Amino acid sequence: MSDPTRLVAGPFNRVEGDLEIRLDVEDGQVRAAYANSPLFRGFERILAGKDPRDALTITPRICGICSISQSAAAARALAAAQGLAPAEAGLTAAALIHGVENLADHLTHFALFFMPDFAKPAYAEEPWHARMLERFAAGRGSGVRAALEARAQLLHVMGILAGKWPHTLAIQPGGVTKAPDARDRVRILATLRAFRGYLEREVFAGPLEAFAELSDGQALESWRRGGQGGDLRLFLEAAQGVGLAQLGRGPARFMSYGAYETADGPLFARGLFVKGRRRALSLDGLVEETAHSWMLGVPAHPYGGSTVPDGEMAEPAYSWCKAPRLDGQTVEVGALARQVVDGHPLALDLAAEGADARARVVGRLLEVARSVPTLEAWTAALKPGEPYMRRGAPVSEGRGAGLVEAARGALGHWLVVERGRIANYQIVAPTTWNFSPRDAAGVPGPVEQALVGAPVRPGETTPIAVQHVVRSFDPCMVCTVH
Amino acid sequence: MNTATETFYEVMRRQGITRRSFIKYCSLTAAALGLGPSFVPKIAHAMETKPRTPVIWVHGLECTCCSESFIRSAHPLVKDVVLSMISLDYDDTLMASAGHQAEAALEDTIERYRGNYILAVEGNPPLNEDGMYCIVGGKPFVEQLRHAAKDAKAIISWGACASFGCVQAAKPNPTRATPVHKVITDKPIIKVPGCPPIAEVMTGVITYMLTFDRLPELDRTGRPKMFYSQRIHDKCYRRPHFDAGQFVEAWDDEGARRGYCLYKVGCKGPTTYNACSTVRWNEGVSFPIQSGHGCIGCSEDGFWDKGGFYDRLENIQAFGIEGNADQIGGYAAAGVTGAVALHAAVSALKRAQHKPETDTSGKEDA
Repeated sequence: MSDPTRLVAGPFNRVEGDLEIRLDVEDGQVRAAYANSPLFRGFERILAGKDPRDALTITPRICGICSISQSAAAARALAAAQGLAPAEAGLTAAALIHGVENLADHLTHFALFFMPDFAKPAYAEEPWHARMLERFAAGRGSGVRAALEARAQLLHVMGILAGKWPHTLAIQPGGVTKAPDARDRVRILATLRAFRGYLEREVFAGPLEAFAELSDGQALESWRRGGQGGDLRLFLEAAQGVGLAQLGRGPARFMSYGAYETADGPLFARGLFVKGRRRALSLDGLVEETAHSWMLGVPAHPYGGSTVPDGEMAEPAYSWCKAPRLDGQTVEVGALARQVVDGHPLALDLAAEGADARARVVGRLLEVARSVPTLEAWTAALKPGEPYMRRGAPVSEGRGAGLVEAARGALGHWLVVERGRIANYQIVAPTTWNFSPRDAAGVPGPVEQALVGAPVRPGETTPIAVQHVVRSFDPCMVCTVH
Repeated sequence: MNTATETFYEVMRRQGITRRSFIKYCSLTAAALGLGPSFVPKIAHAMETKPRTPVIWVHGLECTCCSESFIRSAHPLVKDVVLSMISLDYDDTLMASAGHQAEAALEDTIERYRGNYILAVEGNPPLNEDGMYCIVGGKPFVEQLRHAAKDAKAIISWGACASFGCVQAAKPNPTRATPVHKVITDKPIIKVPGCPPIAEVMTGVITYMLTFDRLPELDRTGRPKMFYSQRIHDKCYRRPHFDAGQFVEAWDDEGARRGYCLYKVGCKGPTTYNACSTVRWNEGVSFPIQSGHGCIGCSEDGFWDKGGFYDRLENIQAFGIEGNADQIGGYAAAGVTGAVALHAAVSALKRAQHKPETDTSGKEDA
């Protein structure tokens, strides 16, 4: 046995924001990991005392990559505080806007953040390396460029429905400010069809529906062997080569707030998946702990929570991130969690015993394949001339929660209004769940747990296996601490 | 390969861009910058003969929305070219390497191009608690910023964060987030505000600087005049409704459905200098007012602390309106209309003749 050595991996590139992970390494393996979000801006403190409606402008600026999710959560929290039910057509338009952002984020993660790791010199001997280099060398691979182009085209939908992206202003508590006309509907539909064309040509190399219907890991393997080409097959080949499915085992507890609220309920179900079963989700047992965070204050539910940074940065804390726990336990959130909670058979088969690095990536692409047809259907159902906004009265006293699913998972805003001003505003972002530090009992957060056992090759300072695991969560560090 | 003497043209060719595309790029650049066709060969000549200017792109307290905007720039060719120029150096959102390797790449670029590179800053440094609210590579971001700025030729402050502070500097500014020009006072700084800035504005500015090796002409607050000399209101397509006194009074009223002016529901277009109403967003598709929501003025200093975003601008005198919106229809808003079209034509000409003073612009607000 050798003595444990300590590595500080980071700063990580190709993640949104800054991230540092401290690793205790022994016998060529990670023994313990400590995730630090080294960035704090204090949004919750800035919001206090402001006009509640200003949350619609301020909170999207937490994050430039999932600003619609923040926007939607703020609108939902305000609507709840006002007791306002959004116009039905407005809900569908908001769901479309939100769905497009999540699609764009999944694609960005796959092509710009995750795949380029396989093009690194560390894998130069692998049979797939040359193809990876051609498609996904950071910044210049043909796959990277195709994805950037497809994404920019897709985001035209944001222009049409939301005015601008990032940081739209169109989503309001009562619906959306933009009522699409017949011409907009045609343009959105054409844009989505073009995006489907890109996906079916370059990523899936086949119909989306065929992938969305896969029933288990066996079927996934047959799908891979049964076709030619496509970035997803390339990924699966490399994932097998490097043993991605054996890396990054998460806590086997998944949570989803339910994605894309429409008049017919959410597209992807809300719930908690624990011990192989889905249960109804109650957030009464949600507590943010601060034992290992550079934060003052006591563990509390977000309605009564506070965000007061500890300027001393006193030990044993090591992160600005708080540690959210549901009924005292960690949960994993994200696209895979959504698909597991929704009960998709492929997701259940890949992740019922806990997610791994490969399953997280497959979960994202599964969600892409399932979402695009639905977005097309929603667009076709847009009815010009209907009311897209319902008027609400200003709220002077009240509270409300806005629960949505960002690309990276469950996002919650908890708002308390007193005398017409924001008395308290607390935000728990997806990466706050996934990248939380240890709690008072010393239980590590999901990524800290997932990193244990990751191999460290001699001489590696930011081990490539660690990078795969970290990126498989698609962390968004700017959201985490905000 | 000696990258120090490589020209832009060589870099582009190495990235697989054809001669034909290169010339097209030069024409597009000239058009984007408001220069005539006679400038195309000049731009081409400059790019063929000048060593390329390296760009280092660093991130402080921010939300990465500037990068998000930038990578969706309208013209694929422009995007390819500009990306290939900057991705050669250091950008911690998009680059391939990680950890110490990435830090080494930064040091290497600073060392090799001392005094010669452009530093692009996204986000800003927080100064409270010795800068510990934003830590990069184990050290406060403010140290990385000072270090990288020391040997930079010029600095681009991307977005409202770097230019003015943006929402994290909103009261009470818990981390004392501070714009770049308050920390770096001895370098030319160009501010490209907006939250985020428009992609075409970002590529336009960086292309101008890379091509002509100087800052474009700046306004009093340090913004490039070519994109920030007009108010949103000046070129807003809803302007006729303002002049006619037709306003949206509430979100779902008849006025909203008819696309009336959003002034009364808080639009800050009349006091906001930016190119949204002309260049527009997401490849020219739209802009906030077109989606039925007022402008929040995100390219103006302090936009986050000027009262509620939904309060109308009634007491602001800065744009020459004496009455409020209830009376304004009759005024035909004479005070707001400037000689805008003429100005645009003249300023393009001026830019061509006038070499801006690159060494004073950074000190204005210091």
